[in-house]
Amino acid sequence: MLTLSSLSSYARHTFGFKRLFWRIFIAFWLASLLVMLATGFILINNFSSDEYSKRYFNDLINQAERIIWHYEQTSANTPFQPGRLKNRIEKKPNHKGHRLPILIMDGHGKQIYHYRMSQVQPDDSVQRILLGPSDREYQIFSKKPQPPRIYKQVLYRFQTLQFGFIFLASALVSALLSWSIVRPINYLGAFSRRYANQQEIATLPKKLLARGDELADLAADIDFMVNKTHAAASTQQQLLHDVSHELRAPLARLQASAALIEQKNPDNRHTKQINNDCMRIDQLIQQILNYSKLEHYNSSPQQCDLNALCQQVVDNMAVSFPGTGIHFASSDTVEITGYPEPLLQALDNIVGNACKYSPAGQVVDITITEHENTVKIAVRDHGPSVDESEMSKLLQPFYRGGNQMHTSGFGLGLSIALKAINKHKGELRMSKPADGGLSVSVILPYTLA
Amino acid sequence: MKNEKYKILLVDDDIILCALLSEYLQEDSFDVETLNNGETAINRLLEKDEFDTVILDIMMPGLSGLDVLRNVRAKRQVPILMLTGRGDDIDRIVGLEMGADDYLAKPCNPRELSARIRAIIRRTQQGSTNNIVQAKLHGITLDSGARSARVNDIPLPLTSAEFNALSLLMERAGQTISKQDMTQEVLNRPLEAYDRAMDVHISRIRQKLVAAGIDDVIKSVRGIGYQMLTAPQQVQD
Repeated sequence: MLTLSSLSSYARHTFGFKRLFWRIFIAFWLASLLVMLATGFILINNFSSDEYSKRYFNDLINQAERIIWHYEQTSANTPFQPGRLKNRIEKKPNHKGHRLPILIMDGHGKQIYHYRMSQVQPDDSVQRILLGPSDREYQIFSKKPQPPRIYKQVLYRFQTLQFGFIFLASALVSALLSWSIVRPINYLGAFSRRYANQQEIATLPKKLLARGDELADLAADIDFMVNKTHAAASTQQQLLHDVSHELRAPLARLQASAALIEQKNPDNRHTKQINNDCMRIDQLIQQILNYSKLEHYNSSPQQCDLNALCQQVVDNMAVSFPGTGIHFASSDTVEITGYPEPLLQALDNIVGNACKYSPAGQVVDITITEHENTVKIAVRDHGPSVDESEMSKLLQPFYRGGNQMHTSGFGLGLSIALKAINKHKGELRMSKPADGGLSVSVILPYTLA
Repeated sequence: MKNEKYKILLVDDDIILCALLSEYLQEDSFDVETLNNGETAINRLLEKDEFDTVILDIMMPGLSGLDVLRNVRAKRQVPILMLTGRGDDIDRIVGLEMGADDYLAKPCNPRELSARIRAIIRRTQQGSTNNIVQAKLHGITLDSGARSARVNDIPLPLTSAEFNALSLLMERAGQTISKQDMTQEVLNRPLEAYDRAMDVHISRIRQKLVAAGIDDVIKSVRGIGYQMLTAPQQVQD
């Protein structure tokens, strides 16, 4: 549903005037306002200059008729005195309103009244013939009507409530238009981002696909592409999974055969090598299976106590790395909604890495800090530091840091951790503490929503 | 008894692997019989209680190892060692909860398998040749000679791992025993990473005790291990 509240919330999330939303909105709004202004200008210009002239001449004739009336009154008995007439007209207490420049002459061209006409250029003057009450002709001169500046009129007219409505309505229409274009684009963006980050294919709404316009075509194409990509990736994952799985049976037989040789010839030095390599292949298979298992992990989320998970990891490290001290201040339960198994795996891999690279005599620190919406688990070691440029590479599968080829690793640990953390819509951050070593932080939201 | 070969049943769908492991174990002086599917394994095990240990692969087509475990455990207390995939923690825990004695990740080194079988047999035979001890606490009576437990004279059915764990806890009542020590003494093997075997065994003992009317006598000491309380009122936490 397209409602104003959703619109405003949408607008709130989309700051920055470079956004397509604002560009379309502003362009369309300005265009519609300009069209309205131009229309208004033309209408008012024609209408009001006619109107103004009409009123002007009305006023002029009224004024002249009054003066002529006075003139005929005064000049009937006594000889005409222009000063007296002027006095009488201008000093009249109830004389109100704006007076126009005027020059009145009688039929013989004798000037009978004059008001501010000296400033008027001959080009600017207009002439009218008027009959007085006694049927005598008078010539009246005045300034051409000059309608006030058009923008003043326009502004004057647009200060009304009507204009406010037009203004708002055009804004609303522009916003709706803009929104109807931008919303599907944003939706498609979110759709592909979601796939890129979480490998989840959302279903596109039927409304979007049924639009019938270019955006619907684009949506259909993106949908097709994502499904195709997903199918290819799934096939690859499945293949990796199947191959790894199938390798296990022959590996078990190989190991058993080597053990048989060893049993019969305890001095055979090659069987030890075979056993070591079998173990290594087994570990690699396990890592690959863990990695692909996360891909298809579809248990429902549940409450996980991060403190307990960390404690479990610490207990495990005491078995796996008995020589490495771990400092973990166990606290109360820190519960988030998530997937305990992948989380444990992620934490195990991160802490395991820290222990692996931690020099003798140094401790690995694990701290849990709760923030408003997230929980941060920081694992810090004092091992060799990692260049910033290398940090992101460490998250790639099968990448092993620089020349520190560790015999017991495949470069999958952090990739698995990252995958598990991404499943929680969390973040994995690496930083280089000032006093050396590496700090890996896992930031997890309290809820998956 | 020492001259007699221990009889092992190996259940795995991989026929070649069965042959190899069986050859290895026979060389290690076990008497090995192999079966390749769940149904025959259930029939064989229920037919006659003649094996000292059963090695059971969990991942089998048809009836899985867990199905076999469920069917057998209801009627037989024979020690069962599961072979699970390395990452399959759920299978392990479910298996232990169904009464398996221990697990081993597959693919496994046959040397380790052999050692594990010996560990299981050693603890099932424990006591039967040594001095016979009776322990009593909270109304629980353990008879290490008969390897049987009774609660207020009602028999308490326990697997051999559970019996060993309970007797260790009662022997050292009042002391906290670490998970490492318990795994070593009860299962005769070192603690592994993410080793839940002891926790599951303890949890099963607790459930059985609660069913028999005894609550809160085994206390978990976080990050360390377990402790049998000497008196019920000591329960804190």
